[in-house]
Amino acid sequence: MLPAPFTADFLNRLECLRLRTRREVLGSRPGSYSSPRRGTSLEFADYRKYAPGDDIRYLDWGMLARSDRLYVRLFREEVDLFVYIFIDGSGSMVFPSIQEKFSPACHVALALAYVVLANQDHVKLLLLQEASPPVANPFFRGRHRIMDCADILSSCTPRGSVSLAPALGEHLKRIRRPGKAIILSDFLMPSSSYQRGLNLLRSFNLDISVIQVLSRQELDPSFPNENLAVGEHESDEEVRLQWNAEIRREYQRRLEHHNRQLRSFCHQEGIHSSLYVTDQGVSDFVLQTLPSIGLFK
Amino acid sequence: MEFLNPAGLFALSLLPILFIPYLIRRRPRRIVFSSLLLLREFPSGPSRRLWGRLRIPLLFFLQLLFLLLLVLALGEPVYTIRPPQNLAVVLDNSASMQALEGPESRFDIAKKETRELIRNLPNEARVNLFIAVPKPERIGGPLITPQEALALIDTVSPYDLGDSYGDYGELLSQMTRDSSYDRVYFLTDHPVQGQGERISVISVGQPQENLAITSFHLTRASFGSSRLRARIEVTNFSSKRQRVRVTLKGGGRTLSRQTQTVSPGKILEVYFEGFPFHPYYETELEPNDALPLDNRRFAVPPESRGLSILGISPQPRALGSLRSIPGLTLKVISPDEYEKITGGQHALEIFHFSTPSVLPQSHALFILPPKENPLVSLERPVSRPVISSWRDPHPLTRYVNFALFRPPYARPLRPRSLSDDIIQIPEGALAVALERGGFRYLVLGFDPFPYLGRRNLPVSIFTLNLLGWFREESTGISTTTGNPLQFSGRRKTMMLLAPNGDEIPIKGGSSIFSRTFFQGIYQLKGDGKKELKAVNFLNNKESDLANPSPVNLERAARSVGDRSITFSLWPSLLLFSLFLLFLEWLCNSSATRHGYPTDSRGLQIKS
Repeated sequence: MLPAPFTADFLNRLECLRLRTRREVLGSRPGSYSSPRRGTSLEFADYRKYAPGDDIRYLDWGMLARSDRLYVRLFREEVDLFVYIFIDGSGSMVFPSIQEKFSPACHVALALAYVVLANQDHVKLLLLQEASPPVANPFFRGRHRIMDCADILSSCTPRGSVSLAPALGEHLKRIRRPGKAIILSDFLMPSSSYQRGLNLLRSFNLDISVIQVLSRQELDPSFPNENLAVGEHESDEEVRLQWNAEIRREYQRRLEHHNRQLRSFCHQEGIHSSLYVTDQGVSDFVLQTLPSIGLFK
Repeated sequence: MEFLNPAGLFALSLLPILFIPYLIRRRPRRIVFSSLLLLREFPSGPSRRLWGRLRIPLLFFLQLLFLLLLVLALGEPVYTIRPPQNLAVVLDNSASMQALEGPESRFDIAKKETRELIRNLPNEARVNLFIAVPKPERIGGPLITPQEALALIDTVSPYDLGDSYGDYGELLSQMTRDSSYDRVYFLTDHPVQGQGERISVISVGQPQENLAITSFHLTRASFGSSRLRARIEVTNFSSKRQRVRVTLKGGGRTLSRQTQTVSPGKILEVYFEGFPFHPYYETELEPNDALPLDNRRFAVPPESRGLSILGISPQPRALGSLRSIPGLTLKVISPDEYEKITGGQHALEIFHFSTPSVLPQSHALFILPPKENPLVSLERPVSRPVISSWRDPHPLTRYVNFALFRPPYARPLRPRSLSDDIIQIPEGALAVALERGGFRYLVLGFDPFPYLGRRNLPVSIFTLNLLGWFREESTGISTTTGNPLQFSGRRKTMMLLAPNGDEIPIKGGSSIFSRTFFQGIYQLKGDGKKELKAVNFLNNKESDLANPSPVNLERAARSVGDRSITFSLWPSLLLFSLFLLFLEWLCNSSATRHGYPTDSRGLQIKS
């Protein structure tokens, strides 16, 4: 059973979408994504001198007439896409509650997975968590596998702390095919940490997209104006502070700076990035925000 | 403005409790956030100090005002519309008002309060002054001026009597209802329950721990013996064990002394024996406590002479057998001679097969009286009757097994008036006892004489019992204050010397004196003879200073009419405090909306 946001209309509209990649991909079957290999698509790639044995149907007859030289036309190969959706499964994703942060993130992941499956591409859902070794999910293909994806996501429980680079590294050990990687996380971690993680993905020749998931309470905390002892889910650390409007403004300034750093890094590295505030509807975000950043064709 | 329930104002002392939640809030609230990445290096709160920096919001003052109004409403403030014109002042002059509160007695404090009260009255006001014991009665004229009332107060003194009225609240409400008093004041040492707008109870004194002698009896060691035995009961009304010293005095000298310990709420019995004879005895208890009155008791010993008996019988020999009993003197006369004797000279008169025309003014035993006697009617004779029931316990029946009691001849008795059937057979009573005018009368439907001693034990024991019963009444027992004194014999002129030194002439040969308001020895003089009577204050309820019974004004307040001279402010205060409560709720819910954490909003409080 799909979650509530996945209505028939929403699914129909998702089927119209197709992920955009900035790189050529190496697929295993014919698909709709460009491959660096030459193939039999309609998209012209290059000329090559005719060699005996070439199919004369690909001879460029016009060039032969003009220059009396034999060249054959080469076309790009179009292959299917392998998509890796990484979901942050750390304890910070349960704030303020699972329903208000982690579940919306899962819904976005599920929507993206459905887009992939509807295009007969391959998708694999990967949870970034403190598990050794990480759970190895299979690739899914075909829209009927969306239920398997939903089952995987519903069985996930965020907990513990996660360091992005090591967690990604564990998963990358098992990735054999380059493709597209989509990371859903709150990215509430030091910039050096997520930069290491994203660079690691880039080294695997993956086309990366980043979706930062934050709740409204993280953007605008509504703590009482008094002396607070603030802890976090991922550690036993505690910070004492006298919360007031000034501190609140300072927090928001720091968060804005942090997000800007993330966006700037992504921009420099050619990574799609977007911020998803969980009080926004999943369909609005997927159908309007994500196309606007060029995630879909 | 005054408060009808001033005890409610004690709740003001609880107001500082309001600070506690604010002090508790100073401790840091524990909250869990998603990440501390962006919260580090902010300035921390001031909670390192013990109390923190106490920041009192405006809400606190709203709450303080709310509680203040609530407590004031609890005190039931009333505003006096006009000063009282007619008022009654009831002074409690019971024995417990003699209790000392420091250097002064409670009664002195009450009088001082009364004077203060009356001095504040306008000149045109009118006062009725009442005392509470021996019965509530007005002293002085009706509706006197405040100046006259002030002069009258000095003449009032407390009596050695307990409270005459069980429920003073009822009395006060009745006074307010029946009379045209604007205000009734009652000055007492009792606490007050409830309040009344027109009734004001001024309570003086505090509960105190007290010891009291609650019984002092002198008896002879046995019938006819000259040795005396004293039995003293000491009750501990306090909440701790007390070491007490009981002293027995006679003739102004200390005869004996005992020191013992009495547990809280318990009664200690102290016995003295073998002390010399004196006209009267006194016992004292140490340590002295707040109420010295109940630390002293008096007693007059049983008569030193034996029981003096006048026998009236047509068979003098049968009655003459009583002479074998030591400690009694017997004179036997014929019924004809009895009518010629004037004046009661004997403690007991025995009418054997005879009866006087009128009841004698002394204790009397009637044995098988003729049918024209004034006490009982006689049924048909019965031979060897079987006793079916008898009063037990009773001084007349103790030590006797009436199953063995088979008189050869008996006539069942049917009392003509209310009496006590002591021994019964199926056909009627065989022994009937009654008391009239302070004298005891016993009628027997069988003849216990002649006295055979050991040869007929049940009847002999019964005979000794009845002689003891008559003598017990005539001697050795003290009277309680407020109860009348009975004088034996008929004297033409009598003078009674009261313990406070008053000499009271008793005219007309009256044998009863009822104004026994003070504890001590009353001496009756007349016809060259002197008779001593001990009168003691015996009222455990009054002696218990630790648990005085409250004056209940709750019913009184309801029953009083609406001629109020006051205006109650507490409903307005209550309404205003409710409005403040609503305002406080509004502010509080607003504060919660704008920043206080709730689970549904995502802030989690760590346990």
